[in-house]
Parts: sequence; C-alpha cells; structure tokens
Amino acid sequence: MIHFSEIERLDAYDAKGEYLGWLVDLGIDPNQNPLRVALYLIRAPKKKLLCLTHEQIQSISVRAIQANVPAQEIRPFAPDEGVIRIKKDVLDQQIIDVNNQKVVRVNDVDFDIQPSERHTHLRIVAVNVGWAAAVRRMLQGLAAKHTVRRISNIFPSKTIPWEFVNLIEPDPARRVKLRITYHRLAELHPADLADILEELSRDEQKSVIESLDNETAAHAVSEISPRMQVAFLESIPADRAADIVEEMPPDEAADVLQELHPKTSAELLANMEEEEAEEVRDLLGFEENTAGGLMTTEFIALEASGTVGSAIAAFKTFEGPIESVHAVYLINGESVLTGVVPLAHLVLAETSAPLKELSTDPVISIHSHKDGKTVVNLFHKYNLLALPVVDDDGRLLGEVTADDVLELVVTRK
Amino acid sequence: MNPTRFQRFRNNFLIFLSVLGPGIITASANNDAGGIYTYSVAGAQFGYSLLWTLVPITVALVVVQEMVARMGVATGKGLADLIREEYGFRTTFLLLGLLLIANLGNTISEFAGLASGMSIFGVSRYIAVPLGALFVWALVVKGTYRMVEKVFLIACVFYVAYLISGFLARPDWKTAVNNAVSPSLRFDSSYLYMIIGLVGTTIAPWQQFYLQSAVVEKGIKRDNYRQSRWDVIIGCMITDLIAFFVIVACAATIYVSGQRQIADAGDAALALAPLAGQFASTLFAFGLINACLLSACILPLATAYHVCEGLGLESGISKRVHEAPGFYSLYTGLIFLGALAVVLLSESKQIPIILLSQVANGFILPFVLIFMLRLSNRGDLMGEYRNSRLFNVIAWGTCAVMITLTLLLVITTLFPQYLPK
Repeated sequence: MIHFSEIERLDAYDAKGEYLGWLVDLGIDPNQNPLRVALYLIRAPKKKLLCLTHEQIQSISVRAIQANVPAQEIRPFAPDEGVIRIKKDVLDQQIIDVNNQKVVRVNDVDFDIQPSERHTHLRIVAVNVGWAAAVRRMLQGLAAKHTVRRISNIFPSKTIPWEFVNLIEPDPARRVKLRITYHRLAELHPADLADILEELSRDEQKSVIESLDNETAAHAVSEISPRMQVAFLESIPADRAADIVEEMPPDEAADVLQELHPKTSAELLANMEEEEAEEVRDLLGFEENTAGGLMTTEFIALEASGTVGSAIAAFKTFEGPIESVHAVYLINGESVLTGVVPLAHLVLAETSAPLKELSTDPVISIHSHKDGKTVVNLFHKYNLLALPVVDDDGRLLGEVTADDVLELVVTRK
Repeated sequence: MNPTRFQRFRNNFLIFLSVLGPGIITASANNDAGGIYTYSVAGAQFGYSLLWTLVPITVALVVVQEMVARMGVATGKGLADLIREEYGFRTTFLLLGLLLIANLGNTISEFAGLASGMSIFGVSRYIAVPLGALFVWALVVKGTYRMVEKVFLIACVFYVAYLISGFLARPDWKTAVNNAVSPSLRFDSSYLYMIIGLVGTTIAPWQQFYLQSAVVEKGIKRDNYRQSRWDVIIGCMITDLIAFFVIVACAATIYVSGQRQIADAGDAALALAPLAGQFASTLFAFGLINACLLSACILPLATAYHVCEGLGLESGISKRVHEAPGFYSLYTGLIFLGALAVVLLSESKQIPIILLSQVANGFILPFVLIFMLRLSNRGDLMGEYRNSRLFNVIAWGTCAVMITLTLLLVITTLFPQYLPK
C-alpha cells in the first residue's frame, strides 16, 4: 500500500537511468479500467509536462519511479477530459461516501502496488479522510518518509473503499465521459439523500438532482430546506421543475410553490399536469400556518354506506403514498364528513361489515382556518396519527398527517 | 416615472431585500471593540484631521468585499473550501491555524470591550462577561439559522446609537465635512501609525471568509448578484459611516477638551459625558456593548465554520451538536477561553495575547488577499464573473497598499521600541 502524498513529487527516471522530472499527478481512465492508474504526469525541467502510460512503468516505490522506455519514446501530456486526475479531481475535493451517506473531504488517496514481470501497476484502493492522512499531508517533505509514516500511524486512520466513493462532477458532459453516475444515491432513503445534497454547493446539487429520475428527485427535494428548494427549482428548466413538483405530495408541492417567486410558481403550475396542478392550486388558497395550509389532499374518502370490502378496494386503487394512510374517511352525498375509520379497525373487521359501525366516536376534525398550534394540541390531546380538515359546512377538504405536525413542532423549536 | 420602470425598480428592490444580510452583518461586526477603540483614539488624538482616510478605506473595503461576495455567488463555495481545493492541505491548515489564534485574540478583546462598556452601567465584569458569553453561546447552539440572522440584523440596527451620540456631541460639521473630503497627509510618525491602525481594523482576514460563506449559505443566485453587490457596498459604507460618527463624537469633545488620552472604548464613552451630556455617553456605551456582543458571536462562529470547512469536518448552525462535534467544540472553546481570559487576567496580561492576535492577523491578510485575487481571476472557477482587467489593476493596487500597511503594523507591534511616543 502506498499513499498519494508519498509518491507526489517523486523523481522519475527513464530506461537509461536519466532523470525525467517529478510526478505531479496520476490519471485513471474509467473507460479502460476503473481502478488502474493509466497515466503518470511528470513535470520535466523547463515546465514541460510528460505523460507516462501504465505500460511504461517499470517499478514504483517511495523512492523513485522507473520507466522502462527511453526518454524519446515518452509523449508530452495532452489534456484529456475523460481521465480522472487524482490530484486535480480527487485530492482535497469533496466526495460522497455512499456507504455512510456523507459528504467528506479527501485528505489522501491509497494505492496498491502490483508488480509483474515487465511492468508495475498502481491500483486505486481507497480515499483517506482521517487524521492520520491529515498529519501525513502536513509533514510530508519536512521529514523522511518512514518518519512521517511512523508519526501519522499514531493518529486514527479513516478510509473509504474506492467502490463506495462517488465523485461529484458538476459538468454533465464530463460526467458522462468519466462514467460517473448517481445510481447508488437513488437507492438511499430520500432523507439521507437530502442530507448529502445539503452539503454540496449549488452547481453540484443541481448536477446530482438532475441525474435522478423525477420521483427520486421529488422525494429528495421534499426533504431539503425551503431555501435550497427554491434555489434549486429556480435554477433548472421550468418543464423539468414542473415534473419534479408534480411527483411531490400536494401539500409539500404547495409549500414549495409558496416560497417561489410568484412568476416562477405560476410558470410551474402551467407546466404541470392539470389534475395535479388543480390539487396544488386548491392548497395554495390556504394560509401557510393553518390546518388548510398543512393538509394534504391525498386521502381516502368513502360513502358512509360502504363496507370494509369497498374500503379495501379503495386502498388498492389509491394513487397517493399508501404508507401514510392511517384512516379512511366517511362522507355523505354532500361530501360532509360523517365518520373516521382507523386502519386497525378495518384490518380486524369482516369484509362485509358496514363502515359506519367501525367509525370512532366522536369524530374529531378541524376547521381549515384554525392555526397550527391548535392542530398540534389536538394531535397531542387525542394521540392522533391523522386529522381530517373540513370547511364551514363540514365538508371534508383534506387531512393533516402526523409527519407534518412533527415537522411543525421541530422547526418551531 | 412610467409604470414598467417603477415595476422594474420594485422587483429589484424586493430581490435586494431578499439577498440583504451578509454584507451588512459583516460590515457591522467589523465595527467591533477594537474598531470602536481605534476610531475613538483617532478622534480623541487627531480631531477631525483623519476623517479623509475613511474615503479611501471605504473604496478599498468595497473592492475587497465585492470580490469575495462575487466568488461566493459564482462558485457556491466558501473561501476556505476554495483555498483547500486549489492550494492543498498544508497551506489551508497553517492559514486556518493562524486565523484561529488571531480570532481568539479578537474574541478576548470583544469580551474586554463588553466588560468596559458594562462597567459604565455599574455592572461588574464578573457578571457581565459570563452572562454575555452564555448569551452568545446559547443563541447559536440553541437557535436556528433564520433566528440567528434576524438577531444579527437587529443588532446592526442598534449601531444607530453612534449616529445619535455623534449628533449630541454637537460637532463642527463644516470642519468635519471639509476634513473628510480633502486629504491632508502629515508626516509625523504617530499620525501615520494611526492611519495604519485604521486600515488594519477595517480590513481583517476573518471578514473575507465570513462574507463569502454568508453569501453561499444564503443561497444567492447568479441572477441576483447585482442586488447582492448593493448589500455589500451599502454594508461597507455603513461601516465607515459609523466610524465617521465615532471619530466626530470624540473629536468634538475629547480632542477639544485637551485631555486626549483614552485607555479603552469604555473610557471614550465616559469622557463624552461631561462634554456631550450623559445621554450621549450612555448611547455610546450601549453601542459598544451591542457591537461587542455581535462580534463576540460572529467571530467565533465564523472561525469554527472556516476551520471545519477547510479541514472537511461537519459544520453549520443547522446541525445538531452530535452531528458536528468539531464545529461546536471550536465555537464553545473560543467563547469560553475568550471570556475566561477577560475574567481571570488583568488588563496588562491580556495585552500580549491581543498583540499576538494582531500579528497573526497581519501575517494572514497578505496571503488571504493574494489567494483571493488569484482565485477570482480563474476562468474555470469564476466563468464570466472573473475579474475584469480594470478591476484587477484597482484590486492589485489596493491589496499592495494594504499589505504594505499591514506589514508595517506587524513590525511596529513586534518591535514597539520603534513606536512613536
């Protein structure tokens, strides 16, 4: 194992033992081999940059790099966007540690030396983010290499295997060339993904979110801070922003649209599917910190005359986020709320049982104009998971769910 | 005015309000205990004659601050981040280490200023300093970003106390304005030393880091850069407007009275009382307390931020304590040590620490300025926001002057035997 900080500035010699220059950077070509160091950039005297390929490396150690070709055969370096440069693109940069779902800064990069008969390969193993690497970077060049090693070993080392490293590249064209994808981020929980996004700079965020599918992007955007939501949605094309907002739960979407510039907000609504836009528009009519402003319009409401069987059928055709449904609401012909059946009651009842008999008594609901504090108090007092919201005539408008209440309580603190 | 122009103005103004904050807060925190003291001395010893320096200082401040704000908007990254990414680990580590020392000294002088301001109201420093420290600590650790920013902005408004006490001192406005617009260089060494002190206190390294991070944290978009620039320019003007009024207040009273020696900023407030009235004195002391509390909060906060940023540790007010242990221990440690030094050490023992911090500041500033100039000229980082040629001429010139003055300050601090009497 060898650290980049130990081979940086290493002297390089050609096959005849002539001095070539010193090592400034290593390059990996992900299109050839994602782990092997393909290029060795050598700074020759008089500022010229040479480029040794991996076949031209005879041996490599903490003392020197030995090429197996004479100086004449070594070509000058031509900048190539398709190569990951260790010093330029990795060292000291922020990367995403996919395994621990964190954004970290790279202190050093670790390689394996793989000697074979004719030449030696370096294989990238891990990036180093711990104190040991920091101390090594601090001392390298000031003391002998083995002394530096000994001192830095006193400190805790922390490495992230290269396979869990996700580089952040804001330029989409270069990202394609380097084969950087954010597939693994899409598999994270949206809340973890949002934590990662919050650590990135604006352009980097944009590049990560842009590469995600609409649904994943929508979940992640729902979880980031309102200020970042605005900054992000205003920076991408309106049709793509509309696609993302469309996938968000209507109450979250309404919150975001309220934060946006009215012009941008109108533009997004115009670009959204009519049905979703209508739902969001209805919610925008309510003031922010009221029951109406907190509620979502995705819920299950059934005629009070129905049976458990009809409720289960409604579950099967429900298009919203099914895991957040805690109760079904009973309404009459005028949409007036007449009952609430908790999920547990449905599960325990016979399929043919009439819903009316399963309703809680009394039916607890709230008027859409009541403020957030009243909502919180009701949740607390009655140990609710969801609370139906009604208008002046008792018609069901939506429901406030426990997660929204929790957010209200936490952000207020 | 035709309606479309009015609408455009109104839109711009609304955007301005939404990006308002970073520039004005940085500018206000800049007028901290050290700043108020330096301005007071300048007024007390030299009357109105140094007022003209505020004009070039404002220009220099605008040039430098505009550059960092632009970098923040263009890259979306903090200055410590950029320095780490472009100049490597060792440079960043040394720079931040010095910044840490410098800002510990600054924090001590904030708490010392708080103690001296509170003593005018008869509050013992053994009560004022621990309570003040607890207040600023709790604000950040328990508060949210939005709340903290609001408290900061309110504290900025309280600087108006200096304006009022300046008026109450009934200065000779004609002479004051004349001196402000017509430069009059005197080649006596104490006069020159004072100018160096004024420049040094107005343009400090930490504020470059702080401003850029604040711009990034605020999420200001490239499209809104124009309005954000106004925030910075107005902030710089406010800094020097406050300086102007402090100098004028002291010039009209202490300088005129002939008793021109003051030991700290609290002294200046006391000296105002017989000459400008008790109310002016009270306002001056209140302004000092406000300034010290604001800076005692922002300085450690900014330091903790940048050290964590540069070293890649988790940071941010929005993080919980266990998520960002390094950040919170640095912030807490700076406040604790700063307050402890003021409570335990006598004033004569605080001086070496404060001098050390001045030297550290002086060492960092040239590096920070040169890094800033080089980074803001990088096409790959800045794109169309890189410095124009004309701007570069002005900026390099400004920085060269500031670096020279700062180094002079360092030399005179290290070798006080060459100091003018």
